[in-house]
This record gives sequence, structure tokens and C-alpha cells, in this order.
Amino acid sequence: MRLQHGRVELELHELAARSQGQPLLLLHELYASGSSWGEGFAPWPGPVYALDFVGHGRSGWVKGGAYTPEILAADVDAALHHIGSAAIVGAGVGAYVALLVAGARRDRVAAALLLPGAGLAGGGPLPDFEREAKSVADLAVPRPSCDPMVTFLEHDVRPLDYVEAFAQKTRKLILLEDGGARPPWWETTRRAGATTSVADLAAGLGQL
Amino acid sequence: MQPPSFPGAQEPERQQVVESLGLRLNVLEWGHRDATPVVLCHGMFDHGRSFATLAPLLARRFRLIAIDARGHGDSDWADAYHWPIDVADIVSVLRWLGRPCHLVGHSKGGGQATDAARIAPQAVRKLVNIDGFGPPPFPEMLQEIPERMAQHLDARRRRGAQHAWRPYASLDDLIERRKAQNPRLSREWLRYFLYHGARESEDGWRWKCDPIMGDGFGPWRPDWIGPSYASLEMPMLAVVGSEQDTWGLLPGPVLKERLAHVKQLSRCTIHGAGHFAHIEQPAETAAAILDFLDS
Repeated sequence: MRLQHGRVELELHELAARSQGQPLLLLHELYASGSSWGEGFAPWPGPVYALDFVGHGRSGWVKGGAYTPEILAADVDAALHHIGSAAIVGAGVGAYVALLVAGARRDRVAAALLLPGAGLAGGGPLPDFEREAKSVADLAVPRPSCDPMVTFLEHDVRPLDYVEAFAQKTRKLILLEDGGARPPWWETTRRAGATTSVADLAAGLGQL
Repeated sequence: MQPPSFPGAQEPERQQVVESLGLRLNVLEWGHRDATPVVLCHGMFDHGRSFATLAPLLARRFRLIAIDARGHGDSDWADAYHWPIDVADIVSVLRWLGRPCHLVGHSKGGGQATDAARIAPQAVRKLVNIDGFGPPPFPEMLQEIPERMAQHLDARRRRGAQHAWRPYASLDDLIERRKAQNPRLSREWLRYFLYHGARESEDGWRWKCDPIMGDGFGPWRPDWIGPSYASLEMPMLAVVGSEQDTWGLLPGPVLKERLAHVKQLSRCTIHGAGHFAHIEQPAETAAAILDFLDS
């Protein structure tokens, strides 16, 4: 379904239409889309939605190229107002956005499951002024079906005390830990909130 | 209505469009095309004619190029705004020029010109920052960030897809609105400046700038500003006014600490000016800039 948010139209996929049970909202990693999710969510007992972030899939592109996790979070907020309330699963940049929304909208987000994935891996916790000598335009690598400007979401700086403030406000956080490397913000989240670790998606959904 | 005039303000000699990241940026020019370029970056809620009195004073020696930033003046509006993308617009103009230039920015444009000079050092010979050294340090409010983000989200939802300001009955009403924000700017200047920063339609006058242009949220901190200056490879002239104003003139120790990171720093105080040194005292500001560019 199409949702108008600000000046951009969003695509919210309804992957499983059920009238009963808690809704689940899926937030994809960078360069993916709401169509990228596999079959892993079939056992979920409620309706399942997946948002295409702006610049991805069938959602509109942000004219002028301003992509930030906060702008994506505002789009998720619009989707949540349509759905009502939900548990959120996010991967990569979608995991970070899930954390922002779960911290800011405690009343609507009962729990969030964070999965690894693409996005925000290169930004680090503080600006690296020596390494920054590239313009955003240089960073914009074309990808099929994505706005090239979403590449900016690989490099956005994410201070740790900022993410910590959101993590501490969430009602329930579940982190998928498979031994793989995680960005600094994830490490902080693991320590900051009321978090549970799981080894795979099925276990994570069970905890939600 | 006849376009208002202002003493010393000269019409741009050329007006052009520069493409940047999917948007069309309006640029105004004064001075000979073959002269060394000086790119001018205005502040928040302003537009390229912010330099209409300064540019003619530099035009005997330089080619002046004043950008209307995205969401301002006659440049396109974006769907959303983010500081680094504004900076990338300045870099787009530097690339469009295709040869090294000097950069001058005021207020927000001063901060963004400084960032553009950092990320495109090969394109910028010298940098002039007119009172664009950022806000004072934020008070410690980290615990409140999620609540403030919720308020930000509420405000965004209420505003929806707002595409226009409410109309003002007359240009005089716009002048009084801006005068309340910047009391040091004369009504005569504001009449000249706001005539070009607003549009008249059947139901009144509206700002040209995008109502959502100042609407951002994120983790940026003022304490990143000073350390960023350490990576400037070219000389910077830091210009401030001598007078207190509704915006600008950081506490002396804060400004000193930030500027201490600049490797090649010149400082200049324009007497009898507040935040808008180039508008309040264009001759003195032009003299200081010429001195710096010649040195």
C-alpha cells in the first residue's frame, strides 16, 4: 500500500494479512527493500508488514538526496501510525532506525529485534575529519533500484552516547549475535538497554 | 511594484543555474568572467543578494558568484534537508567553476563554506568565514534525546507535506517580521532584500525559502566544530562584528577555543556591526577581505 509522508510516497508491503495478533514491521538493510525478506516470518501469528525505505524499492526517492537515519525513522513513524503499534525487526541501517523508533515511541513499539546488515558501518562514533576528504557526490555509487545518494547512510556518524540514550528508553531489545563483527553503536546497544541475545532469527521472533 | 533599490547594492551582472545532486541552484554573478572566482555562501533564511552590497566592492578584482542555497531564494526546494548535502552543493559549484577560487560564507553559509573547503581543499585557495562558527555548546540533555525526537516526529506529522508559508498582507509585514528577528538590519535594506526573498501572489506575500528547510534532527554536536578546523589546508580569515546581536558573536573564550584549531588564521573585528558584518559595514568588510586575499 502507498503512504504519503511529507513530500515522499512510501511503499508499505503487507506480507501477511491477519486480523488477529500483534503486527510485525520489518525494516530492511541498506540497498535492499521490503521485498527482500525471505520466508522466515511465516510463523509470526499476526500481520506482517515491510516498509521500503525512501530511496529503496518502490518508495519514492528524496529529491535532493538528504538521507539520514532520523529521516528514515520519521517514515517508520508514519507507517506505525498507519499500523497502530508493532514489534519491529530491523537489519543493518534498519536495525539502527528500529532502535531510534523503539526509544522515541515506547507507546507503540513493544519490542525490537536487531539483525546485522548493511548500513552505518563506516560512519563510526565520531567524525573522522582527516578521512572525510570526499564529497557526498563521490560516495554516491549507483546501485540497481536504489537512489545512489542512499550511500550516504554507510558513512553517517553515530555517537555512542546518542544511541545509548535511545537504547535505554526501549521496552525490550533483542540482538541477533552470531559471532560476526558489529559496528560500535551495536556494541553500545548491547551494554546499554534491557537486551537479550539470540543466535538466530527464529529464536529472536520467539522472544518478540 | 518596482524593485526597491538600496545604496551600494548593485544588480547581479549574470544569473545562472548550476545542477547539484538533482536540484537546480540559482547563482548570481558580479565582476569579469575571467577574474579569480570568489564563491559567496549566505546564511539561513537569506539568499544570494545578501552580498549585493559587498560583491560590487570586490568586483573590480574578482568574479563574485553568490549561491542561493537549496530551499532558499530562486533555487529548488528539496524533499528533506541535511547539512552535509548543503555542503555538497557548494562543492558542486566549485566543480562547475573548474578552477581554484576563494570561498566566503556568512553564518550558516560560513560554516558550510568551511566544511566545503575541508572536503575539497584542492579547489579553495583562501576561506573567509563571517560569524559562521556555530552555536554555543549545547547543555547536557542526552537523556532527553528520545523525548525530543518524539516531539520532532509529532511536529513532522502535524506539518505533513507543507508546501507554502502563510501569506503576509504586504511586503511591509514581511519587513516587520524580519526586523523583529534582526533588529540591527535597516528597514531600507530589508525592503530591498526581502523583495527578492519573497513572492507576491493574489492573496499576499510569501517567503521564497522552503518552510521545512530548518527542520532537522540528529546527533550533531557543536563540540565537533573546533576539531574540524584542524583539517583546513588553506588560510582562514575569521570575521566577527563588535556588537551584540540576536544571533552570533559567540562568547569570546568559545570562539577562541574553536579558532585555535585553525593552522593559518587571521582574525578581524568589524566595528559597528553585529552578526551581518557584510551588510551593516560592507566597505570595512570588503577592505578586510581584500587585505586577506592579497596577503
